[in-house]
Amino acid sequence: MATPVTTPSIQEVPQGAGTAITPSIAPARSAQREGGNSLGTFGVKSGLAQMLKGGVIMDVVNAEQARIAEEAGACAVMALERVPADIRAEGGVARMSDPQMIKEIVDAVTIPVMAKVRIGHFVEAQILQAIGVDYIDESEVLTPADDEHHINKHAFKVPFVCGARDLGEALRRISEGAAFIRSKGEAGTGNVVEAVRHSRAVMSQIRRASVMNEEELYLFAKEIQAPFHLLKETARLKRLPVVNFAAGGIATPADAALMMQLGCDGVFVGSGIFHSGDPAKRARAIVQAVTHHNNAKILAEVSENLGAAMVGLTIDPNIKGGLLAKRGN
Amino acid sequence: MAALDKRDVVVGILALQGAFAEHQAMLQKLSLKRTITVVLVRTVDDLNLCDALIIPGGESTTIGVLARVSGLLEPLRQFVRSKPVWGTCAGAILLSETIQGSKKGGQDLLGGISIAIARNGWGSQVESFEADLAVEGLQSPEQSFTGIFIRAPVVLDLSPSPEDPPIQVIARLPTNLLPQSFASLDESDSKTVVALRQGLHFLTTFHPELTQDNRFHDYFVRECVLSRET
Repeated sequence: MATPVTTPSIQEVPQGAGTAITPSIAPARSAQREGGNSLGTFGVKSGLAQMLKGGVIMDVVNAEQARIAEEAGACAVMALERVPADIRAEGGVARMSDPQMIKEIVDAVTIPVMAKVRIGHFVEAQILQAIGVDYIDESEVLTPADDEHHINKHAFKVPFVCGARDLGEALRRISEGAAFIRSKGEAGTGNVVEAVRHSRAVMSQIRRASVMNEEELYLFAKEIQAPFHLLKETARLKRLPVVNFAAGGIATPADAALMMQLGCDGVFVGSGIFHSGDPAKRARAIVQAVTHHNNAKILAEVSENLGAAMVGLTIDPNIKGGLLAKRGN
Repeated sequence: MAALDKRDVVVGILALQGAFAEHQAMLQKLSLKRTITVVLVRTVDDLNLCDALIIPGGESTTIGVLARVSGLLEPLRQFVRSKPVWGTCAGAILLSETIQGSKKGGQDLLGGISIAIARNGWGSQVESFEADLAVEGLQSPEQSFTGIFIRAPVVLDLSPSPEDPPIQVIARLPTNLLPQSFASLDESDSKTVVALRQGLHFLTTFHPELTQDNRFHDYFVRECVLSRET
């Protein structure tokens, strides 16, 4: 039986779907020009991340928490159904949040709203783009949908942030289109040790790369499985070519300032705020600690009388909920 | 900071949150006859060193909260009354007299430029865009300037009261480059204004600091800062 001939070229390619299904009509980057100006360029994607620098991005699960975060001075909020500590405690498959809940948070605040999708789940990303979130976190905190592939993030107008444990992982994510990198840390533990490990790994590898000659860079790119051109650019800049935040286990103003002094551009705080005794006060203190991260006197003032911090967990292979940072590579 | 030479012109960059490092890098690349010293402003002491100030892009609510808790809000308002200040994006919002789309319960502003402005006036991040602008008054004005508009504010109303200095429009978005849902705007509509000057103050709703092109920084320092000295 003959297959009816159809013209596939009218149909829009689902963003992020890759080119396998409809090889000839994958949109070129320039096809995103609409109305005369250029939407969704890498410049506006990485540019928004640059506007978030020196700020704190807070996990929130409803509009009320989002308002507390905005009042405290958060530069953005991350909308999700359960904070990582609860995902750990409750187990099960963690997915993208209900779009209705995300829309309520978008309506409640004026700052950028981010939301998480599972690693590789490009349809969750299409949905979040359609409802107008400002940034997508392709996050290891949710249960991965694809254990080999990440989303092709170049194909979206909405920008993406991704987690990384070392320079190679960061540059692989940027190569896939991430416009913003964060450490993975070990989310939901209130334990900053893994975020420190990941940030130090990235910084130390950048320092090594920055003194290498071209032959050594080729070898180093092979060792860390990074695209050569991005490694070369990183070595030239002596920093990642996109904004780099700390995330995973940050619970106190001192934790936040530690990550800033290690060279991060800003911090994500997940469970650390709304799992503490006085979320509004702690949120404001962490915001101030990031701005004044080099001023120990101010750090001491803002660290006073914050009430109970979230209960921290020791990180070992048997930790409840498992090691999240291993997901995706 | 005791090492500051008195003849240096000190340009501060408000460094509470946002893209202040990008402005710093741009200023350091300028080649001018006068020495420009750049100070990152986080405290009142830092501000007191400055002859002029740049308020960077970032989140205007965050910068407002941090200015208040750092005791900088009133000193900044006083600074704005007497010295040159340039606001980009969030900075432009902070310099406006009235805003639309403030956070619930309102937010702290500095004022200084008698306009009304709408936060996120073009929409959310997926509506953020780049557009080439023709700008009179820059060096090499025949070369267009790439305006990077990120959740950018939109100027709603330019009607200074008679006692305010006049407003000078520096750049407009060409109507053919307007976001689609605004395509019907008239070219004289205030919403097309993306850069303007009033007295000592300068405002851009886009981000010159995200480009490799330092002509706007050169313009601010020459026209708004150094021109006062001679």
